[in-house]
Amino acid sequence: MNRFLLLLTNTRELFTVGFLAILFMVTGIINSDFLSIGNLVLIFNGSVIYILLAIGVSFVILTGDIDVSVGAILGLTAAVSATIIRDGGSLFFAFAVTIGIGALVGLINGMGVTKLRIPAIIMTLGTTGIVRGSVYVYTKGKWVENLPSDFKSYGQISLFGLVNVFLLITVLIVIALHFYLKRGRSGKYYSAVGDNLNGAVLVGIPVDWIRISAFVLSGIFAALAGIVFASKIGFVTPTAGSGYEMKAIAACVLGGISLAGGVGSVIGAMFGAIIMSSISRILVFLKFSSNLDHTITGVLLLVIVVFDALIQQQLKEKARRERLAAKDLRAKKAYEEQEEATNE
Amino acid sequence: MNRLSSYNWKKILLRWEYALVLILIIEILIFGAINPRFLRVNVLLGSINDYVSICIIALFGTIVMITGGIDISGGSIVGLTSMVLGLLWQDMSMSIWLALALSLFTGILCGALNGFLIAYIGVQAMVVTLGGMFLYHGLAVVLSSLSVSSAYEGISGFPREFIMIAGGKFMGILPNPFIIFIVMAILAFVLLHKTRYGRSVFLVGVNPNAADYSGINHRFIKMSTYMLSGFAASVAGVILTSYLGSSRADFGNELTMPIITAVVLGGTAITGGKGSIIGTALAAIVIGILRFGLQMSGLTTQYLDIPVGMLLVIVVAIRGTMSFMKFPKLFVKKMNN
Repeated sequence: MNRFLLLLTNTRELFTVGFLAILFMVTGIINSDFLSIGNLVLIFNGSVIYILLAIGVSFVILTGDIDVSVGAILGLTAAVSATIIRDGGSLFFAFAVTIGIGALVGLINGMGVTKLRIPAIIMTLGTTGIVRGSVYVYTKGKWVENLPSDFKSYGQISLFGLVNVFLLITVLIVIALHFYLKRGRSGKYYSAVGDNLNGAVLVGIPVDWIRISAFVLSGIFAALAGIVFASKIGFVTPTAGSGYEMKAIAACVLGGISLAGGVGSVIGAMFGAIIMSSISRILVFLKFSSNLDHTITGVLLLVIVVFDALIQQQLKEKARRERLAAKDLRAKKAYEEQEEATNE
Repeated sequence: MNRLSSYNWKKILLRWEYALVLILIIEILIFGAINPRFLRVNVLLGSINDYVSICIIALFGTIVMITGGIDISGGSIVGLTSMVLGLLWQDMSMSIWLALALSLFTGILCGALNGFLIAYIGVQAMVVTLGGMFLYHGLAVVLSSLSVSSAYEGISGFPREFIMIAGGKFMGILPNPFIIFIVMAILAFVLLHKTRYGRSVFLVGVNPNAADYSGINHRFIKMSTYMLSGFAASVAGVILTSYLGSSRADFGNELTMPIITAVVLGGTAITGGKGSIIGTALAAIVIGILRFGLQMSGLTTQYLDIPVGMLLVIVVAIRGTMSFMKFPKLFVKKMNN
């Protein structure tokens, strides 16, 4: 039983994948249309934006900080890239500019958190306001519309008629990042910093640099999500992406990333994002009102974190008891040795 | 002796609350210079209607943050309260006052759920209230779909007495929401700064283990702060419903960020153990007046996030670096005295 608990905590992403599989299976049993290839493809293709946001945020959460500015960054970069494309700029230029914006906002966040010692949630809250306001300044409060159709068609290009190009690239990025974080030398620094900041300083990890780069990565991924957003949706409103930051964080939590930092993986974040974005579709297939979307998300989040907290407590308690038992054993042994010594 | 008095004088002058008052006065003067209509007492007092929800929730959000937690579900509780109130009154044909009482109770219940999971199960506050934010907003949406009125229009047509809760004026001058805000502020101030409960809140924030050893039930204290915060959110929900004359699920959705901004700007440490109600109340008014004033000087509402965001970052950065540099000096002085 305890080994099972330990396995569960060590492979939290597996737990998420299992949960996703059960969710899909149960829905499929009740309504077999759900498991049709076309529907599954729609679900996976529809979750790209959330996946991109979630893997970006997961870097920041791994280092023990939090980033609530990704929704605003998505809004700004979507608006900027859409405007560039609409006015005839090249796709490459749009990519370069938006990624630059994302990286810049991330850099500002990172510098504020590490150099000025502003708590992450406050710093990113502040940049959220500034960036979201900039969207209005930039677009003058109007929608960005009339995007050329070949830009919009990028969202429809798919391999073998199934896998969307965006999704394919995203999944490849996730796999690469997963191996970087788990096997790469500097990749492991992220969770090390989140697990024990002072310890990381002591063993010589460039802590500030790692934390800043996490924010920069988060900004860059939010920028990528912004381009995908513009291409998929086809128009950009000034409020685009507001509220997405909370969904991205929720996706990370669903994917087994601990907000305390140091625990979790980008694969988990990806599956968390897929669960997040498939809930409303599942509800429709189960013939429930999709109004229940937020309720289910909330309940799911709470249940998972409570479950997780209880397991952690049990493990901690067990470790404590083992420690105490070992102490007892040592004391007993020492006593016996002393007895023997006196007997002799 | 001389040094002591100068130290006290400096300490008093450097209090953050005075800086906030100064910012507030400068703000009012600048906006008054741009648009003289702004300086009319009626306009200035009436402006509080626009941001009273932020003020009230921030007051009790401060208490939560002092224990080292955070509550981001307040905005959703506002919407849920509003829907519960409307639904009980219209579709269950309850008396409006009973519906009001029950909707206030809803807020406390939501806070209790948050608090229970945080204090007794030991989940991080940020995660629980994030889940709560989704859950309560979701419930509000579900409730609005149960009602006979469409979700878009919301429930309206409340009796006049109820509308007068926020629409009326106390003694013909002061708008009622202002009075409610003052009452809530006094309540929070007395609770936090003048009672035994308040001392335990601070102690729990500084060191929960020490609080536990000194015989304080730190779990209950933590849970109760979330209940207070939920209660404040539902009071804000009732005021908003009364002021706008309708109840809708999406009320309060945009409030989360301004609330945290107000609490932090008021001088509350996000790590807990430090903070004051007066600071938060002043900061909430500073933010509210800033938004209102910019609006009156002709800026559209959408730009307002920029100055508020900048204010937040700059103030926290300055305060952080100042306390960082000054701490050793003050410490030395204290030792000498």
